[in-house]
Amino acid sequence: MVAFTIEQIRELMDKVTNVRNMSVIAHVDHGKSTLTDSLVQKAGIISAAKAGDARFMDTRKDEQERGITIKSTAISLYASMPEEDVKTIAQKTEGNSFLINLIDSPGHVDFSSEVTAALRVTDGALVVVDCVEGVCVQTETVLRQALGERIKPVVIINKVDRALLELQVSKEDLYQSFARTVESVNVIIATYVDPSIGDVQVYPERGTVAFGSGLHGWAFTVRQFATRYSKKFGVDKQKMMERLWGDSYFNPKTKKWTNKDKDADGKTLERAFNMFVLDPIFRLFAAIMNFKKAEIPTLLEKLEINLKADELELEGKALLKLVMRKFLPAADALMEMIVLHLPSPVTAQAYRAETLYEGPADDASCIAIKNCDPKADLMLYVSKMVPTSDKGRFYAFGRVFAGTVRSGQKVRIQGPNYVPGKKDDLFLKAIQRTVLMMGRNVEQIDDCPAGNIVGLVGVDQFLLKSGTITTNEASHNMKVMKFSVSPVVQVAVEVKNANDLPKLVEGLKRLSKSDPCVLTLMNEAGEHIVAGTGELHLEICLADLQNDHAGVPLKISPPVVSYRETVEGESSMVALSKSPNKHNRIYVKAQPIDEEVSLAIESGKINPRDDFKARARIMADEFGWDVADARKIWCFGPDGNGPNLVVDQTKAVQYLSEIKDSVVAAYQWATKEGPVLGENVRSLRVNILDVTLHADAIHRGGGQIIPTMRRVTYAAMLLAQPAIQEPVFLVEIQCPENAIGGIYSVLNKKRGQVVSEEQRPGTPLFTVKAYLPVNESFGFTAELRKATGGQAFPQLIFDHWAVLGGDVTDPNSKPGAIVKEKRERQGLKPEVPGYEEYYDKL
Amino acid sequence: MSDTEARAPVLSTYQDTATFEYAKVRNTEQIRNHLGPHVGKTLDEEVVAKIKQYYSLDELVEFLKQKSGDELRFKKVTLQFPDSLICDSATIVHELQRHLGHTFSSAQKFDAVEPAELKSVGCCSNGNNCSAPDVKGCCNSSSQETASQAIWILADTSYSACCVDEVAAEHVHSDLVVHFGDACLNPIEKLPVAYVFGKPYLDEDKVIEEFRKTYQDRKEDRILLMSDACNVFHARRIWDTLKGEFINLAFADVYLNPATSKDVEIIGYSPMTHESSEHSSVVALNRQLIGIKDVEALNQYDLFHISLPQAPRLLQLTTKFQSVTIYNVDEEKIHTGSHPNLMRRYRYVHMARSAGTIGLLVNTLSLANTKTLMNSIAKKIRDAGKKHYLFVVGKPNVAKLANFENVDLWCILGCDHQGIIVDQNNEYFKPIVTPYELLLALSDDLTWTGQWVTDFNEVLKDLGEGSQDQKEEEGTGTPDDNEAAGEDSDDDAPQFDPVTGKYVSTSRPLRKLQHLQITAEEEGDDDKEEEESEKSLIKKFSSTVAIKDTVSTSAMYLQTRTWTGLGSDYKDNEQDEEGAILEDGRGGIARGYDFDIENKN
Repeated sequence: MVAFTIEQIRELMDKVTNVRNMSVIAHVDHGKSTLTDSLVQKAGIISAAKAGDARFMDTRKDEQERGITIKSTAISLYASMPEEDVKTIAQKTEGNSFLINLIDSPGHVDFSSEVTAALRVTDGALVVVDCVEGVCVQTETVLRQALGERIKPVVIINKVDRALLELQVSKEDLYQSFARTVESVNVIIATYVDPSIGDVQVYPERGTVAFGSGLHGWAFTVRQFATRYSKKFGVDKQKMMERLWGDSYFNPKTKKWTNKDKDADGKTLERAFNMFVLDPIFRLFAAIMNFKKAEIPTLLEKLEINLKADELELEGKALLKLVMRKFLPAADALMEMIVLHLPSPVTAQAYRAETLYEGPADDASCIAIKNCDPKADLMLYVSKMVPTSDKGRFYAFGRVFAGTVRSGQKVRIQGPNYVPGKKDDLFLKAIQRTVLMMGRNVEQIDDCPAGNIVGLVGVDQFLLKSGTITTNEASHNMKVMKFSVSPVVQVAVEVKNANDLPKLVEGLKRLSKSDPCVLTLMNEAGEHIVAGTGELHLEICLADLQNDHAGVPLKISPPVVSYRETVEGESSMVALSKSPNKHNRIYVKAQPIDEEVSLAIESGKINPRDDFKARARIMADEFGWDVADARKIWCFGPDGNGPNLVVDQTKAVQYLSEIKDSVVAAYQWATKEGPVLGENVRSLRVNILDVTLHADAIHRGGGQIIPTMRRVTYAAMLLAQPAIQEPVFLVEIQCPENAIGGIYSVLNKKRGQVVSEEQRPGTPLFTVKAYLPVNESFGFTAELRKATGGQAFPQLIFDHWAVLGGDVTDPNSKPGAIVKEKRERQGLKPEVPGYEEYYDKL
Repeated sequence: MSDTEARAPVLSTYQDTATFEYAKVRNTEQIRNHLGPHVGKTLDEEVVAKIKQYYSLDELVEFLKQKSGDELRFKKVTLQFPDSLICDSATIVHELQRHLGHTFSSAQKFDAVEPAELKSVGCCSNGNNCSAPDVKGCCNSSSQETASQAIWILADTSYSACCVDEVAAEHVHSDLVVHFGDACLNPIEKLPVAYVFGKPYLDEDKVIEEFRKTYQDRKEDRILLMSDACNVFHARRIWDTLKGEFINLAFADVYLNPATSKDVEIIGYSPMTHESSEHSSVVALNRQLIGIKDVEALNQYDLFHISLPQAPRLLQLTTKFQSVTIYNVDEEKIHTGSHPNLMRRYRYVHMARSAGTIGLLVNTLSLANTKTLMNSIAKKIRDAGKKHYLFVVGKPNVAKLANFENVDLWCILGCDHQGIIVDQNNEYFKPIVTPYELLLALSDDLTWTGQWVTDFNEVLKDLGEGSQDQKEEEGTGTPDDNEAAGEDSDDDAPQFDPVTGKYVSTSRPLRKLQHLQITAEEEGDDDKEEEESEKSLIKKFSSTVAIKDTVSTSAMYLQTRTWTGLGSDYKDNEQDEEGAILEDGRGGIARGYDFDIENKN
């Protein structure tokens, strides 16, 4: 029985202070979807019996089969809180009913982009951490992403039942393990000190950390226990909470609280947390699992748990599950954390506005976002596309940041390339319908005010993956999402039957819509390429492409890696090229850009759209650039925003500004297809040292300058120790000690570099972290399983680009062989051209 | 004061004529490799004899002497040379005039390179357009009587050298073009033509040896022997030698379609006629394929080609045959370079789909049907909602095409032997496609068959079918319906570009035109405004530029440029720099300034 109606939800949408937008994020298999089930169950959407197994939010067939989440799924839930709890909420609220817009996200690293898309539309995050495995690589990645988006985290330490049943830890050990996990989460958070959002570290004693078991459907916070005991002890709840965590001990004899673990006689005291919180749980576990039937009723009575007659018949795990669920229902603990500690859209948008909006902070749209104003002009960000039952059509899934969106409303749809005042990527259309996303179902609503998450019908033809929807002509775009992963693994797809080609092209379009991160493109040799973040991501994408989007049989090539071209030194001499008519000359030198600068450009910290003076300031202050140089950056490339720069270092050259457009166009071209591989160039800086131009404008037109600038860029690159960069994965493997030998031998074979090897305290598990070139990662998982008897399961996440050492011009070296093969495949001459091919003598 | 004299700053690197100077041609010696090895560089008796033999000049003279009735059949003859053979042009004219019995003073020196020195004043004052750049040299007999023949040299052919340059020939009202060198034999519009392929040197034994080596163990394989037009007489001899040994060896002879080329003659070689050959034959690729029964069977044949064809021809050949082996005449061995890649063309076709502005590049004027094709393609582009511009560029190259930065894609209309640019090394700024590829791209569903059609007639046939369908469609719907549909339909939805994997919103700039006109009328309520807008050449519809009622993508492009004219580059700096402080200057008149008057006293 569903415990709420759509009307109720719609009503709550208007009370924005009572809305909580939150996503559930975690490492793979730490139990996000299972925990979410308990919330969904609380709302009455699924039955209590199924909660924990249903994985309601896994809406796709393959998700259910594989037992992993692939797509993030949203649902709106209705919750009502007791009056007295509502009073403790630090932010403004209205009444005691709350609307929770929850997004369950995938945990596998390959699908990080789904998490990014989910985070963009939410204000809070429930971080799930496995009690045994602790903070893993993906926990860290998603947490960092959340903090980067100014999203407030709360933590639940999950799978406590495993610790109790499988590892049989003692109370103090369990406490230590909890404390360590909380600490490692806080270590990550501490690196993101952001004054505008305030302290976002998590504290069990403040109720921002919960402990529980999603599978069994129970969880608790220190606050819940504090509520129980504060009555009993007659102490203030706030004080009680502080006493129930950390170095705080209760001396039962003296009935005194102390912060020393020994009493006056030197006898060891039990930690308050262990004594008041863990003890009842341990007792219940012991009694039920050891079948001490006599003890159970007394315990139940003490804990005020009432069981029905037939429920009393149960034994063992089934009984434990039931009892624990009655004792400490997971949904209650989670709801409490979410409602009490996560910000409402009003609170969150006040500090998020400037990080969300591209335009100036004092413009009308930005102020409307800041105030979360439902009466202002509409500002809506579409973060991803969700397939509808109608094949090939999508709901545009996003969040209303300002104004109200309603069916039939005429809006401006602004694609990612939209620039205010221009017509590119701008469409004036009407919203056909607005819907509420409810897991696998949708519910129609007439309109949706600021602060809520919504699905739109009739927008999908105009936006590929994401975009901004507004009603204000002056509005800039909302900032484009930056993904922590990068589509570095590629395959070429081909139709088996030539007549199916149009279907493949259409399928590729639908595929790129349906996934925030997948790239579909065509290489120089005319092959259709699908690029994903890892083997699993590609596997899912290709299965979708073949079965749903294109629906035709495909031939799929083995995976390959995309490389980048770069330079390692400064050009050994000034490169010179003359224009075809010999009347113009360009003198340049190439040099590499520091990796930090490249990363800053890629992450959008150094943005080509920013004011050049502000940008120069950042580059000078943080990256040690010369201010004069930084101000004279002519362009970024490729596509106008890549990590390659042209810097004008000329002195008093006449007509120079006339050729700027041509130089920019040429640089985009040159950095799109480098001289060595025909791949994108990365971390290249070209300094224009001098230019000689013909006095007649007709002789220095684009036709003369564009080919010349491209040639001279190539010449300068080939003079500056050209190299290729390959993508490198960070691998994290958790395994028992005896498997480590196997891991090392596989890593060695695959050019892997071990970064760290640590034992997770309190467990027999070891965590090995290593860098592994993506090129070597194909089949790595299988090989690792074989070498370790199936005990090691790696997580691979794109980490950085690394120069592949060796001479690219020598076909016997590793990079040389890659270059030769790639060039031949593209129908180019197998040898890398010498600089002489592009260099003109004076 | 004197040592710190103010000087204007040097604004750019110093340039004078010496910095940028063209190379001048001085030497009179020529290397004539085409005549064979061991040919002297200077023009002596022996070389002249060789030239005569190479170009079958005796036969040509006979041909030119033809009479129709009392008069000579050809009165104004133009000789067209490719660049590689231009060195022989003077000698040939000289010889021709001698043999045609014209009184041409042999003392006259004449040099093809410097036409100004030509003594033949006669024709230049005839009112003929001698200043046309194509017509470099002309010479005439000294007597200008009706009986005489005028001979002109056409050099520096603007378009592909394999085609007959009708336009240049028409500048002098020529009634015959003699085309020297390799020829594509594509049908041309009207002029009579005589082809002189020349008889280049070729070591036939060497070719036979290489051929045997290539097909050592495959004596029964289906092989087609082909060559360029120049080497066809060698190829025929080689075929005669080898056909006994290789059972399924077919031979591609030059072929002139009797229907389209009545007035076409080949001098110095006579192709086999249907009757004369005992083998079955089919016509394809401007060749008569002797020994092949069915055009469909071509893809089962291996091709052995003597001489390296130009890229477009090579690409076409590779799409037709199972495999292509090329004998490189200059290196005297089998060519090992890579062939042009057809799949790259597939990529270009997709780029054409998302291109907004297409440049129609006309690289021929003489091929039959050029105009028809041009017009129908232009219409097709307009119908697809794309903008096109028409360009006629002689000898197009990277720099010339890159001058038109706002063109997203070029569609080249040219001869399939040399006139199509196949950009193998990504040199060109924007991709270049053929009309056939463009048609593929503009169709609703893009299919790719692996064919590469360059023949204008076939493309036109495809076009014809397409446009007929369209007419039927147009017949069913009234224009009102279309307009009503245009309002709400997703016509202006962006297009997915599979090359970049992104949505492109600029692929159909003309689609919005109708919509724009409606809004423009709505806006222009005032009568005055309307009048004004009628007069003004450029209309602005909410930041879209239109010239003469059509969207101008180049005007839109110009608006995006950062350089907008003089002074625009100083705009940014203005706030930084302080202006100079004004001071009192000199007053008074030149006879005596205030300053002087004050000092005097």
